[in-house]
Amino acid sequence: MKPFLRRLRAELFATPADALLSLGLIAVLSLAAFGFLRWAFTQAQWAVIRVNSTLFAVGRYPVEEQWRLWLLLWLLFAATGLSWGVLRSHPRRDRSGALWPRNDRIAAVLLVVLGLWRPWAMGLSLSIQARWWGLVALLLLVRWLAGRFGRRFGPLGLRLVALMWPVLYLVGMVLISGGLGLVAVSPSEWGGLMLTLLASSFAILLCFPIGVLLALGRRSDLPLLRWGSVLYIEFIRGAPLITLLFLGQNILGFLLPGGLAPDRVWRAAWVLTFFAAAYLAEAVRSGLAAVPRGQFEAARSLGLSYPQALGKVVLPQAMRVALPAMVGQFISLLQDTTLLSLIGLMELLGTARTVMANPAFLGKNAEVYLTLAVLFWCCCAALGLGSRALERRLDPHAVPSAT
Amino acid sequence: MSQASSELMIEARAVEKWYPNGFHALRGADLTVRRGEVVVIMGPSGSGKSTFIRTFNALEDFQKGRISVDGIELSNDLRNIDAVRREVGMVFQQFNLFPHLSVLENLTLAPVLVRRRPKAEVEQQALALLERVGIAEQADKFPGQLSGGQQQRVAIARALCMEPRILLFDEPTSALDPEMVREVLEVMQNLADDDITMVVVTHEVKFARHVAHRVVLMADGVVVEEAEPEVFFTNPSHQRTRRFLDQIL
Amino acid sequence: MAPVPPAEPASASATPPTPPWWRDRRVIPWVVQAVVGLLVLLLIAFLLGNLVRNLTAAGLLLSWRWLQQPAGFDISESVIPFNAQLPYWRALAAGLVNTIRAVLVSLVGATLLGTLVGMASFSHNGLLRRLARVYVEVVRNIPLLLQLVFWYFVVFLTLPNGVAAIQLPGVVLAKSGLYIAGLGEGLRWVGPTLVNGVWQSPLRLSVEFGALLTGLIVYSGAFIAEVVRGGIAAVPKGQWEAASSLGLSWFATLRRIVLPQSLRVIVPGLNTQYISLAKNSSLAVAVGYTDLYSVAETTLNQTGRAVEVILVLLAAYLTLDLLISALMNGLNRLVQIRER
Repeated sequence: MKPFLRRLRAELFATPADALLSLGLIAVLSLAAFGFLRWAFTQAQWAVIRVNSTLFAVGRYPVEEQWRLWLLLWLLFAATGLSWGVLRSHPRRDRSGALWPRNDRIAAVLLVVLGLWRPWAMGLSLSIQARWWGLVALLLLVRWLAGRFGRRFGPLGLRLVALMWPVLYLVGMVLISGGLGLVAVSPSEWGGLMLTLLASSFAILLCFPIGVLLALGRRSDLPLLRWGSVLYIEFIRGAPLITLLFLGQNILGFLLPGGLAPDRVWRAAWVLTFFAAAYLAEAVRSGLAAVPRGQFEAARSLGLSYPQALGKVVLPQAMRVALPAMVGQFISLLQDTTLLSLIGLMELLGTARTVMANPAFLGKNAEVYLTLAVLFWCCCAALGLGSRALERRLDPHAVPSAT
Repeated sequence: MSQASSELMIEARAVEKWYPNGFHALRGADLTVRRGEVVVIMGPSGSGKSTFIRTFNALEDFQKGRISVDGIELSNDLRNIDAVRREVGMVFQQFNLFPHLSVLENLTLAPVLVRRRPKAEVEQQALALLERVGIAEQADKFPGQLSGGQQQRVAIARALCMEPRILLFDEPTSALDPEMVREVLEVMQNLADDDITMVVVTHEVKFARHVAHRVVLMADGVVVEEAEPEVFFTNPSHQRTRRFLDQIL
Repeated sequence: MAPVPPAEPASASATPPTPPWWRDRRVIPWVVQAVVGLLVLLLIAFLLGNLVRNLTAAGLLLSWRWLQQPAGFDISESVIPFNAQLPYWRALAAGLVNTIRAVLVSLVGATLLGTLVGMASFSHNGLLRRLARVYVEVVRNIPLLLQLVFWYFVVFLTLPNGVAAIQLPGVVLAKSGLYIAGLGEGLRWVGPTLVNGVWQSPLRLSVEFGALLTGLIVYSGAFIAEVVRGGIAAVPKGQWEAASSLGLSWFATLRRIVLPQSLRVIVPGLNTQYISLAKNSSLAVAVGYTDLYSVAETTLNQTGRAVEVILVLLAAYLTLDLLISALMNGLNRLVQIRER
């Protein structure tokens, strides 16, 4: 206890002025916390969230087709467990080969707690609560099985896992939108968290190749490519996203021959993609600038072709440098999806607005907006944490030497 | 020291190069290198010696003159450029190892990608080469974990792994701490003893004296003097060479 | 690939032989550029062709005459005089002035807040330091639009009116607006006063403007705090040690020694943040503040002139960005020169 007190004193009460400041801050913070807790537990009416949970999750997706989304969720949980387990079953040189390292145990406990408590706290019906328990159980089971037996498949297992995600994405698209024998569900019926995640993941995936090409173009020796890329990047970065979304909704129809213009949701998704590509290009460009010219020359003098030198030597290094900036862009892209509500789409914020337009929930702004804020905060903070973990993992200097 | 054969490996005639900013870097430089020969190029900084050997594997283009390397005429022909780069290995002043790949992967990357050889076979060869340059135990480390001398030896092994017919060295010891210069020069001397054709740009007089078959002095974009080491260092025929030797000796 | 036959003995004056053009490294770049350029041109021609055809069909071919027609809508708070009889271009101008007003005020506010928070993250006081961190981490991970509607609907629209309004020295916060003390008639200092249940003061801001300012300042403040923190961290530790060994206090060290040196790093970062702020101000439409974008949206709904309205919007925001960039580049030059 002694060192703790000493530290407390050094941190908070080093000088009289510090002590005064600390006491003032503590007073203000406790008052605010007390006020908030009293509001949250006595005044706030969280029923608005509970009653509309389906709306917040998937929007107006037809009830009789929602089994498809559940199926997708089962697949996603299984895939997550599988990837997690397979990754752990291939220990790296610098890691202990433990199947359940400490972080994994914490994550598993957290998952169980969230899976048991959240659905109950939301007051979901018992059948839906049971589904969530099942999902968590499936994830952990697959994680355990893959961790135990994943090694038998060798490096092939890792490659299959990497291949599984794009395939799953396409399967998910089919499950959500229909086709291949499933009843089509028009994008105008998509909404809530599903639409937010769909739009942002679509834009993140597609802006990547475009952004890399733009970055290469901007650093090219060929004047036409360079100036073309600069023009595009600076134009997009100079305009507010809302004006570009506005452009997508009102002008795209004029730019394409009649009937070819995509649906409103897809238009917005494409605008997000092309918007994000310009910002991603700048992140990648800073990464490219950090790779010394000698790397390219060394690769070329070893006989590698231009694409090989780029793909095997320059880009991997550039991506590693650009990673934090790129994840930063992805985080702001996720946040930017809220702007879709301004052009009348029903993503999370748009759904919130329709919910609060319902006379039964009038004036429940605080409850709804706080919930959304927490949701977004968790998603963005998780992305940030993941990026930092990946950075450490990719840093070649962090690998402890064998000696 | 073995004798060089009469087969021409590099033949450069009246090479002229202008940089895009108008600087006239090479003003009619000539050089012939025979199979198994070790040629050292010396000269003051800015004399064009680095530029000159970088034209031999088309890292720099040139506007006038002709260069043929191992019988391949170098021009703006992309096919010939690719062919020459496969036959010519290069070792850089700044090592230019790929920091995101392990030492072993640095060696195997090009043979697998370019020569399409089976990975297992290349790895065997790479380990043997690392043994030869004296750092086999570092195969799984990353370049950032090695000393400068070790990195440069890996770079030499990387170039050798492509089984080149000629090795170019662009000031291979200039970026090294003094105590690491020797380990690199020893490796280079061993290569010379194995009859590998080498063109070396360096300031290391000792190496030039004892290993080179011929020493060349470049100044202002032309080859001023070309002679056997003894003659070059003791009795050069040109005033320019004497001045240069006075400065460095 | 067949090896090329050995070259004939090269003569001294020869130039390198010219390969066929499809293998010539001087020609290939131009071919690549020509192909890419042609494709882009074709795409643009295709899109423009469609645009012209579709606009002609809709009877909306590019024309600026509608700018002169009366707008027919009112702007609730406009710095320059405006009413519904005035033409569209006046409405757009009023919107632009409103945008500039919001940007300028929140720019100053966010800079102050960001600098304070950035300084606080180097405080001796552990609580203050962590609080600065928490503020930045909370604000950066929540969408600005969500924050704006939160300030507007949850905070400003739930303010009490009349006597119950929140009264601070010189400022009154009420649902009907924010009343701020200022110079009144005869250059006397006048505070907010309650007249017949309605507050009055020399300076009144609408709650919409208040919510927009608060949202922008709090959001941009967090990003600017990070810029300032990075700038301060870039100053060598020896500077702190040297200053405190001379007996300077923490605050004096920061203000006199460290901050001036960190400006070199901070100013370019601020440029980026200011431009984002200017663009972010377009979210004003979500809290009912009539900025340029909001006027443009209304104009489009009334006239259907999508292309022209978009052109006006893009031109206005690009000009605003360039203006900020130019100012900040000037400032940057000033800071960098003083360094030497």
